[in-house]
Amino acid sequence: MNVSESLRTGIGVTLSEAFGFGGMTTVVGLAIVFGVLLVLMIVLYLFKIIFYKSPDQVKKDVVAENASASEDEEELVAVLTAAAAACMNTSPKKVRINTYKRVHTDPPVWNRAARRETTENKI
Amino acid sequence: MLDSFASFLQNTGVAALFQDGAIDAVKIIIMLAVACVLLYLAIVKGFEPLLLLPIAFGMLLTNLPMIKDSSAIMMHTEFFTDPEFMIDGKYIDVGHICRHGGLLDLLYLGVKLGIYPPLIFLGIGCMTDFGPLIANPKSILLGAAAQFGVFFTFVGALVISALVPSIAWGVKEAASIGIIGGADGPTAIYVTKTLAPSLLPAIAVAAYSYMALIPIIQPPFMKLFTTKKARGVVMEQLRPVSKTEKIIFPIVVTIVVALVIPDAVSLVGCLMLGNLLKESGVCDRLAKTAQNELMNIITIFLGVTVGATATAEAFLTPATLGIVALGLIAFIFSTIGGLLLGNLMYVLTKGKVNPLIGSAGVSAVPMAARVSQMVGQKENPSNFLLMHAMGPNVAGVIGSAVAAGVFLSMFTGL
Repeated sequence: MNVSESLRTGIGVTLSEAFGFGGMTTVVGLAIVFGVLLVLMIVLYLFKIIFYKSPDQVKKDVVAENASASEDEEELVAVLTAAAAACMNTSPKKVRINTYKRVHTDPPVWNRAARRETTENKI
Repeated sequence: MLDSFASFLQNTGVAALFQDGAIDAVKIIIMLAVACVLLYLAIVKGFEPLLLLPIAFGMLLTNLPMIKDSSAIMMHTEFFTDPEFMIDGKYIDVGHICRHGGLLDLLYLGVKLGIYPPLIFLGIGCMTDFGPLIANPKSILLGAAAQFGVFFTFVGALVISALVPSIAWGVKEAASIGIIGGADGPTAIYVTKTLAPSLLPAIAVAAYSYMALIPIIQPPFMKLFTTKKARGVVMEQLRPVSKTEKIIFPIVVTIVVALVIPDAVSLVGCLMLGNLLKESGVCDRLAKTAQNELMNIITIFLGVTVGATATAEAFLTPATLGIVALGLIAFIFSTIGGLLLGNLMYVLTKGKVNPLIGSAGVSAVPMAARVSQMVGQKENPSNFLLMHAMGPNVAGVIGSAVAAGVFLSMFTGL
């Protein structure tokens, strides 16, 4: 921007100079400030797209997880039915698994002994 | 014995008070009174005491009557303004200041060389949470709109220069006065020390006084430029912001600002460095130092030395009254600029944005946001605007630093 001697020193500034140059600086200055912050706003919207998962999206993920969990459960029931039928020397169609319960992977010795005894008695 | 006693009497402050005649003595007394009034405002009324108190005491120290060339003089403003004491009449002579300067001369080098304001920004960065801004990106534009007062006052200062023959403000002085509207003390000091050092004391006092008066200045205009219905709008809750976003944000802002307006990098860069120290979570010790000990030390140095530039010759002029008046206009129009864009957002979003958060676009953090909260809650007691207003508020810090960069890039070389 060309600045006249009067605007540089402040001596002999006219009203037209004050409004003309001041107005131009205002337009340019505000345009730059808005431009920089507009760019930052776009960057922040990109942040939202890249990093943010809306609650709806999170819900969908949870539903999908639950669906896959129920598929796993069906497989487990099928395996248990087949295993029980094999132990009982009968057809899997005659065995129905009503409920199952995951037991501790490393139960105490007395607990394992009791469970074995019960199972053997039943067989 | 009598000779020594006479010599002692000649070296007292009372003798020094009248060494340049009765008129100068009166000026000194007025300046001491002004310093005492500012001390009263800081201590009793609680107006930005952390800065106003050191500024006022610096003013007191520099205006104490001293015999010419006394080694007790703590501040020689002529070393920084009189071409006779400068290299080639333009550049400050650091060697001369080190040899002959007082304590405040040496400390003032930190202002003159542009060291203190960026370091204050470093501390502010450590204390700032950009989360509300990241969560609501459009609020960043309110920080831009609130710079309207800066440019409006720039024009106003040039108009006053054209109308009042005794005031000779060129573009540099007008820019320094206009930046008061950014409501950011360190930014105002940074611009003024570069463009118009002789106006530094008046601008610093005006900027910090009006920042303290924001709860009084803003509410009437907030009510005038918004409707009752709009003031009662309850904004929807902000989304949660991840740590990753908070870490990337300061890095991106620094790069974007540097690419567009390099003159703003010393302020914005330090602000973002401070914020990264905090958000990264791996520099807790540095973040704590920057926002506590370092910032407190710099605040003392900055306040006392800026106050010490307020000599009677520099302060008791018609220009000071003009600066005080224009500073108020700058604050008002910055508030109005933010409110107008807030209203536009209210209309465009079909009533989802409360326009009161627009006034928080002036960067006085967190005071302006608190005022938005206060006015909003008066209209609707169950409304909590504080976090929504923090977005434009911290955007205002970036906006005013960019506006400062615009002025520096346009006028520094003139």
